[in-house]
Amino acid sequence: MRSPASTMSYLELLKLALPEVIVVISALVVLAIGLTGRQRTAVAGVSSAKPPTKAAGTAAAATDWCSLAAALGVGIAIAAVLMLPRNASLFSGMLVITPLTSLFKIICLVLAFFTVCLARSEKSLRHPGEYLTIILLATVGLMLLVGSEELLMIFIGLELLGLSLYVMAAFDKTDVRSAEAGLKYFLFGSTSSAFTLFGISLIYGMSGSTGLAAISEKLVAAPAQPLLATGIIMTLIGFAFKIAAAPFHLWAPDAYQGAPIPSAAFIASGSKVASFVVLGKIVLVGFGPVHGSSAWHAMAAGWSPILAALAALSILIGNLVALAQTNVRRLLAYSAVAHAGYTLLGLVAGGRDGFSATLFYATVYAITLVGAFGVVAVVRSETGGDDVKNFSGLAARAPLLAGCMAIFMFSLAGIPPLAGFFGKFYLFSAALRAGGDHGLLWLVGLALFGSFVSLYYYLIVLKAIFVDQPSASAPPRDHVSSDLLQRRAVAALAGIVLLLGIMPDILAARILAAMS
Amino acid sequence: MVPLSYYLVLSGILFACGVLGFLIKRNIITIFMSIELMLNGVNLSFVAFAAQWHALSGQVFVFFVMVVAAAESAVGLAIIIAVYRTRQTLNVDQINLLKL
Repeated sequence: MRSPASTMSYLELLKLALPEVIVVISALVVLAIGLTGRQRTAVAGVSSAKPPTKAAGTAAAATDWCSLAAALGVGIAIAAVLMLPRNASLFSGMLVITPLTSLFKIICLVLAFFTVCLARSEKSLRHPGEYLTIILLATVGLMLLVGSEELLMIFIGLELLGLSLYVMAAFDKTDVRSAEAGLKYFLFGSTSSAFTLFGISLIYGMSGSTGLAAISEKLVAAPAQPLLATGIIMTLIGFAFKIAAAPFHLWAPDAYQGAPIPSAAFIASGSKVASFVVLGKIVLVGFGPVHGSSAWHAMAAGWSPILAALAALSILIGNLVALAQTNVRRLLAYSAVAHAGYTLLGLVAGGRDGFSATLFYATVYAITLVGAFGVVAVVRSETGGDDVKNFSGLAARAPLLAGCMAIFMFSLAGIPPLAGFFGKFYLFSAALRAGGDHGLLWLVGLALFGSFVSLYYYLIVLKAIFVDQPSASAPPRDHVSSDLLQRRAVAALAGIVLLLGIMPDILAARILAAMS
Repeated sequence: MVPLSYYLVLSGILFACGVLGFLIKRNIITIFMSIELMLNGVNLSFVAFAAQWHALSGQVFVFFVMVVAAAESAVGLAIIIAVYRTRQTLNVDQINLLKL
C-alpha cells in the first residue's frame, strides 16, 4: 500500500485544498458572529426599556454581518481557486485539480454567493448565522464533489452536500410545510445514497479499486458480469435521485415547494450542477468501456441506454405534469425534471462534445433557476404566496422584476437569443452528431416536443405577470419593499442569462478548452 | 473459509429488507431504521470484497460509511422531531400537506 509517491504531504494538501479550507473557516466565522449576535439580542431584549425595536435592530445588524462574512469568504475562496496550479492530483485522484474542476468550483461558489444574497433577504429565517453556515458547508460539499475522481471522496462530498441540504430544507420551524419538505427530501435522499453506495461496493468488488481511472482499466479487461451490471444500475439510480430524473423525481416538487426559498434555489442549482459534473465523470471516465449504445437501430447494453430511458421519461413526465400546476414553485420543480432529461442527452451522446454541452446547459439552467427563485421570493414576501395568481399584475407593480422573470422563463423555454436556447442547441446538435447515422434522433425529437409543450406553461406564468389584473390582496402600486439587494441580485442574474445568450462562447469555449 | 458469495447473498438480503421496509412501512422511525439496514448491507459487502482483494481500502470505506450513517441519523432524527412538533404524528400517510 505504502509507496513514496503516496506518502502524505500535509502542506501540499493544505495548499491544494485551500479554497475548501477558506470556505470552512468562513462558515465557522459566520457561525460565531451569528451566535454573539443572538446573545446580544437576548440581553437587549431583557434589559432595555423598548426591547422590540432595539432587539430587532441588533438582530438585523447581526444578519448583515453574517451575510457580509459569508459573501467575503466565498469571494476569497474564488480568488484562491484562481491561484491554484493548473494541474495537480493528490492521493491517487482523491483531490484532482484541472482547469475543468477549477472552473466548476468557481461556478459553484458564484451560485453560493447568489444564494447568500437571497438568504440575506429571507425574513422567515430565525437564525441566519446558522443558516448561512450550512449554505457554506453545502458549498464545500459541492467543491469536493467537483474536484474528485475517487468514489470514496465522491461519496463523502455527496453526503456532506446532502446532509446540509436536508437541514436547509427543514430550516423554517414556523412553517409546517418546511419540515415536511425536509423529511421527504431526507428520506428519499438517504435512500438514494444507500443505492449509490451499494452500487459502489459492487463496482469496488469487481474492480478492486475506488479510483475512476483504475476502474476504467479493469472494465476494459473484464467481460460484462451480472454483478457489475447491477452495480452500475444501482449507482445510476442513486444519481437519478440526485438530479431528479423521472421516475426518481418524487421528492423534488415537495422539496421545491415546501423548503425556504434560498434552500430551494440552492437545491435546484448548485446541487444539480455538481451532480451532473460527477455523473459525467463517473460514466464517461469510470464506466467508459461499458458505454453501450442507445441508437434506435443499434441498441447495445451499457449505461447509455439506461440514461437514455431516464432522459425520455423525465422529458415526458416533467413537461406533462407541469402543465397541470398552479403553484409556481411546483411548476419550476416539474420543469426541473424535464430539464434534467434534456441535460442527460449530452451524457448519452458522450464524448467531449456531449459532456461540455451537458455542463454548459446545467450551468445556464442553475443560474436561471436561482434568478427565478429570487423573483418568487420577492413576490412571496409581498403577497404572501407563490401561486400563479399571486404573480398577477406584477408587471404594473414592479416592471424590472417582471422583465427579469420574462428573461428567465424564455431562457428556460429555449427562446433565442437567451442562454437557454444555446444550451439546448449545443445539447441537441451533440446528440445528433453522436451515435452515427442520427441514431439518437428519437431522443432529440422527443426533447424538441417537450420544449414546445413547456412553452405553454412558462407562458401561463408570464400571462399572469403581464396581462392579468392584480388581485385584491396585492399590495398597492407604490409599495416598494426596502430590499434592494435581492432585486439587484435578480437583475444581475438576468443580465448573466442575457449575456450568455448573446455571447455563449464566453462560457462554452471555456468549458471546451478546460476539457482538452 | 466461507465463500464470498455467501456474504454477498446475505448483504443483498439485508439491502432488500431495507428497501422493502422503506416501501411498505408507514412509521417514520421504522423507515429510518430500514435505511440504516440498507447501509449495513452495504458495509457487509464492502468488508467481504476487501477480504477477497486483500486490500484495506474497502474496510476504510466502511469506517466512512459508519461515520456518515451516524451524522445522517443526527440530522434525520432532528428533522423527525421537527415534523412531530408541527404535526403530532409519525405516520407518513398523514404528512401530506404538499400535494399536486
